[in-house]
This record gives sequence, structure tokens and C-alpha cells, in this order.
Amino acid sequence: MDFGLLFSSYLEVFLNPQVLLMTLVGALGGVLLGAIPGMTATMGVALLVPFSFGMDLIPAIGLLLGIYCGGMYGGSISAILIHTPGTPSAAATTIDGYPMTRNGQAGLALSVAMFSSFCGGIIGALIMTFLSPVIAKAAMSFGPGEMFMLAIFGLSVIISISGKSVIKGMISAFFGMLICTVGLDPTNGVARFISYSQTSLLEGFAFIPALIGMFAVAEVIGGVEKIVRGEEKQLTSNARIDRVLPDMKTIKKIWPNILSGAVIGTFIGAIPGAGGDIAVFVSYGANKSASRHPELWGTGIPNGVASTESANNGCSGGAMIPLLSLGVPGDAVTAVLLGAFIMKGIQPGPMMYVSNLPIVYRVFAALMVANLAMLVVGCAGVRFFTRIVSVEKTMLYPVIMVISLLGAYAINKNVFDVGVCIGFGIFGWIMNKYEFPLSPILLTLILGPMCEKNYARFMNIHKGEIMEIFNSPIAMTFLGVAILVIIYSLWNQRKITKTLTLDSSLKSAS
Amino acid sequence: MKNKFNTVAFSNLIGSVVFLLIGIVSWIMSTRFQTVKGNYVQPADFPQIMIIGLVFFAAILFIISLLKLINMKDDDPEAAPAPVLNPVKDKGMQASLIVIVICIAYVALFSLLGYVIVSALACLIIMFLIGKRNWKVMISVSILVPLGMWLLFYTLLKVNIPLGPLAFLRDIVDMIF
Repeated sequence: MDFGLLFSSYLEVFLNPQVLLMTLVGALGGVLLGAIPGMTATMGVALLVPFSFGMDLIPAIGLLLGIYCGGMYGGSISAILIHTPGTPSAAATTIDGYPMTRNGQAGLALSVAMFSSFCGGIIGALIMTFLSPVIAKAAMSFGPGEMFMLAIFGLSVIISISGKSVIKGMISAFFGMLICTVGLDPTNGVARFISYSQTSLLEGFAFIPALIGMFAVAEVIGGVEKIVRGEEKQLTSNARIDRVLPDMKTIKKIWPNILSGAVIGTFIGAIPGAGGDIAVFVSYGANKSASRHPELWGTGIPNGVASTESANNGCSGGAMIPLLSLGVPGDAVTAVLLGAFIMKGIQPGPMMYVSNLPIVYRVFAALMVANLAMLVVGCAGVRFFTRIVSVEKTMLYPVIMVISLLGAYAINKNVFDVGVCIGFGIFGWIMNKYEFPLSPILLTLILGPMCEKNYARFMNIHKGEIMEIFNSPIAMTFLGVAILVIIYSLWNQRKITKTLTLDSSLKSAS
Repeated sequence: MKNKFNTVAFSNLIGSVVFLLIGIVSWIMSTRFQTVKGNYVQPADFPQIMIIGLVFFAAILFIISLLKLINMKDDDPEAAPAPVLNPVKDKGMQASLIVIVICIAYVALFSLLGYVIVSALACLIIMFLIGKRNWKVMISVSILVPLGMWLLFYTLLKVNIPLGPLAFLRDIVDMIF
């Protein structure tokens, strides 16, 4: 590695006002877009590509990376404040973020999310800078068997996110997997649970409308019920936010979660086809399993928010690794970025490290700037965002409803998706009412299609010999870790159940 | 001993029966899926594995809930009262059902009346339902939020959203911007 060139490239980018301005504009747009349920970072990047036509390469990439990083953080704002993930990558942030808001800690939750996103992004960018060729090589050895086992590894987290009852969590998960199979079979194109005339469902239920429905619409229906019954209290955030960044005590508590989340996020982000939505759940499950107090996870602790937010921003660095090293986009955003590179006459790939090394280093630097810009925008906005929870619930709920339904429509410009969103909303409300956890359904909606597609591909390649999977060391590593996670999560869950039973016995005795 | 039919254990029992029924119906449907010759994974294979898992865990929940109902103690967490689902007895439940009806009407009227009108009406009715009575604020929020969101999506994000009778707004905005 040419450290002199690396340093000069970083300096050049950090001192270029056009890059700084464009990245800041991108980050601002990304945070705002990400905070609207249904609007993803991918949409933001795709929308702004035409605006980058007339710019030089690095300011253009800075603008797009700003949206990417900003969008990743923006998704957590609505996840924390209104229990609705703005983007799929923020889905796991609701598990601890929203309970923090309900405990009057919305400001702390947002600052932890922002700080963790920033650290995750920076760690991801550093890993990308120093290890991209090595990681890219490892990531490209992923075939269907390895991807199938990665999905299984992701699914092993279900027990950790099942809440009070593992059995109810497993029912939710299998039901979620079953929902994923509605529509055309991914290998053979055979209609399942529908007829071929039901064109709106041929590709199955759209994920984002389902996500908005299960969280936003279900929250509104449940909230209205509680208000009318007189059970809903007006939420307030920390009376005064003295600092926009978490204090040293909190940072000391969350740094292991940030570090592990960032590494998990970067690694998963580097695997083509796997992204932030998977990384956040894997990171949450791994961090909860490693915690000394797993019973506190899900009740509203900063560690939960830190583990997911560092993972989704770590993904931004990870996703750039196969793009720059191999010319293979790791996710939808990097696919758009690939287009932007080609548009400027640069072909990412192994030769880029030989012929265009200064550009590679400038892109690394632009990602750093993008994370800094996200931090600036986040710091400036945290006081404003926290005011949202102090808005009267009688006004907030209807507003959440109409904004969410618009998000559900906008994703495919299809009224059917609004119906799907409402259908999942009613279903989510009933599931919430009877304490069937929704997070496992969300996880399976993300991982189910990946699991089935790769299982079918593997079986067809290996002529039905499932045992062939034991010949892959990567697949076996994932399987081994998944088994360990399941055993450890079950042990943890037993501990949690014992603590809860003891608490309820003490309460009833007193 | 309190009424066992009004406990979490009983609601879990009903829940498990619902998921068992879903599993059985899905299994019957999956046996009718078309098969593909020469393929190692048939279209019905993966759904059937999921159905087996669903039925297995639903059956466990059924057995546990049944045993709990038979040997229930007052301090069991499952002896807690179950959430109400009867709209006749509970005002909160009535309100939830009204919101669901509003949502269904929202989808039905979305293309006809357009986003702004249908959202303004939904917003206004939900606000009234949950006790807001400041009409000035109610009307302004109900109109300005959907209008603002439409404007944002139309001008900045270039997403065309149905406007129904208010389609003329597009011409006005096009003239201004």
C-alpha cells in the first residue's frame, strides 16, 4: 500500500470545498429521505444520479455516498421515534430504540444511533481502505451453498429477537417464511398459493409496504385503541438535551457493540447480495448473545441501538469492497454507483487498483467525508427530531398514517401495495395484541427468499446431494456458528424466563 | 379461580389453533402445486418444510396452553387477563375497528379521490375519533400534511401520485416550478 499517495489523496478530498459541500447536501437529503418510511437510500441515490452528471467524479461520488450514509442513519430516526423503520436496514433498531423513546430517552437513543452510525461508517471505511482486496477475494468464493448457510446463520438470531416466548417467536418466523413463498417459485416460475391471474402477487408481497404496515399502521391502530381507552400517555423526550453526542459513560458502555457491529456490517456488506437489512439482525443477535444481561435487550438499552446502527453503516464500507476490487456491486446502491463510475469513464475492478489507484483512495476518502457529513447533519438535527415525540398523539397518529401509506404507494406506484400495507397493519396489530413478536417475521421476510433461492440453486447444481454442503469450509463455519448461537440463545432465554418468573413472583408476594 | 376463558393461556390456545388451521389449509393447497420434471427442488418443497415447522410449534403451543389451563395457578403469567377483542364491551376496540374501516375505505377511494383528499378525510376522522376538537388545527393539519407530502414527492422525488379531482394542482405546480 502506498501510504504517501493515500495520505495525499485524503488531504486533497478533505480540502476540496466542492466535495465537502456536495457530500453535506447528499447527507442532508439522505437523512431526510431515510426518515420517511418507504423511501430508501437506494431511491435517493437513484434520484440524484442525474444531478451528478455535470460534476467531477469525486464530488459526484461524494454526493451519492452522502445520501447513502445519511439514508442509513435517517432510517433510524423514524424507527426510534415512531416505531417505523424508515429503511429496511433500520428494522432492528426499533427493538431497543422505540422502547427508549417510550422511557423518555428519545434524545439519547438518537444520539447513540448517530454516534454508532458514524463510528460504524468510519470503521467500515478503514477496513475497506486496508483490507478490500483480501475481503473481496473471500467474498467472491460465496456460492449458493455458502449464501444458503449465511441465511441460516441470519435466521439463527430468531430466538434472540423472539421476546418473552421462543415458541411464539418460532411460529412467527415459520409463518413469515410461509408468507415469503406466496407468488411465483423463484426457480421454476410456478404459482404458489395464488393463480396466474393475480398479477399483483406474482412476485409475492412487496417487502417495504409489509414492513410499513406491520410497524406504522399496526402502531397507529394500537395507539388509537389505547388513547380511547385512556391508557396512552403523552410521550416526552429528555426535558433538555445538553449534548447531541452520547456522554463518555454511555460510550464506554456501547463501544464493544459498536466495534463488533461495524465489523459484522462490513463483512456482510462485502458479500454480494447481502446488505444492511441482514447485517443488523446478525449484529443484534450476536451482541445480545455476548451480553452479560441479555434480559435487558429489547427493553430499551443503548447497546441494542449501537449494535444495529454501527452494523448498517459499516455495510456502506463493506458494499464498496466488491465494487472497487472486482467491479461487482454488493447491493442496489453500489449498483447505481457503478453506473456513476462508468458514466465518468472509469471501470471499477481489479485493474482499477493498478491504473487508477489515486481515484480508489479518493473514493475511500469520500466515504470518510460522507460519514463526517452525516454526523454534522445528525448533530444539527437531533434536537429538532426529538421534538417529534412531544407532538400530541392525537395529531401524530393520523399524520404517521397518511405519510406511511404514501410511502407504501410510492415504492411501486401501486394502490395494491397500499392494501398490502394495511393488511399487514391489521395482522401486525392482532399479533402485537396477543404478544406474537413481529421482528422474526420481518427477519424471515428479508432472509426467506435468499434462503429458498440459494437452497434450490445448490440442490440443482449438486443433483439433490445436500451432503455436498459439508465440503464447503465457509458454509460449515456459518452452520457451526449458527448452532452455537442457537444453543447460547436458548440458554440465555432460559435465564431471562427465570428472571421474569422470579420478578413476577416477587411482585405478587409483595 | 378466575374465568379461565379470559386468560392469556386461553388466548394462546386460540392462537395456536388458528396457526394449526393455517398450516393445514396451506398444506392442502401446496399438494396442488404444479410439479417440474427433472428438477431436484419442487415448488412445493420449501413451503412444505415451513408448514411442518409452523404446525410443529403451533402444536407445542397448543399442548402447553392446554396443560396451563388445566393446572392454572393464580400467579402464573399465563393467568393474566387476555386482551379484549369484543367491540361491544370495549371502546378502544371499537375505535380500532373504525380505524380499520377507514383504512379499507382509504384503499378503495385512493385512485378515485386521490391522495390529498382521501388522506385529509382519513386524518380528520381519526383526529376526531381520538378526541381532538380544535377544528382549526384539525383542518389545517389534515389538509397541509397530505398537500405538503404530495408536493415533496411530485417536485423533488418526481413520483406521480393520484390526485383525483385535484389533478389541476399538477398544472399549477408545473407553471410555478
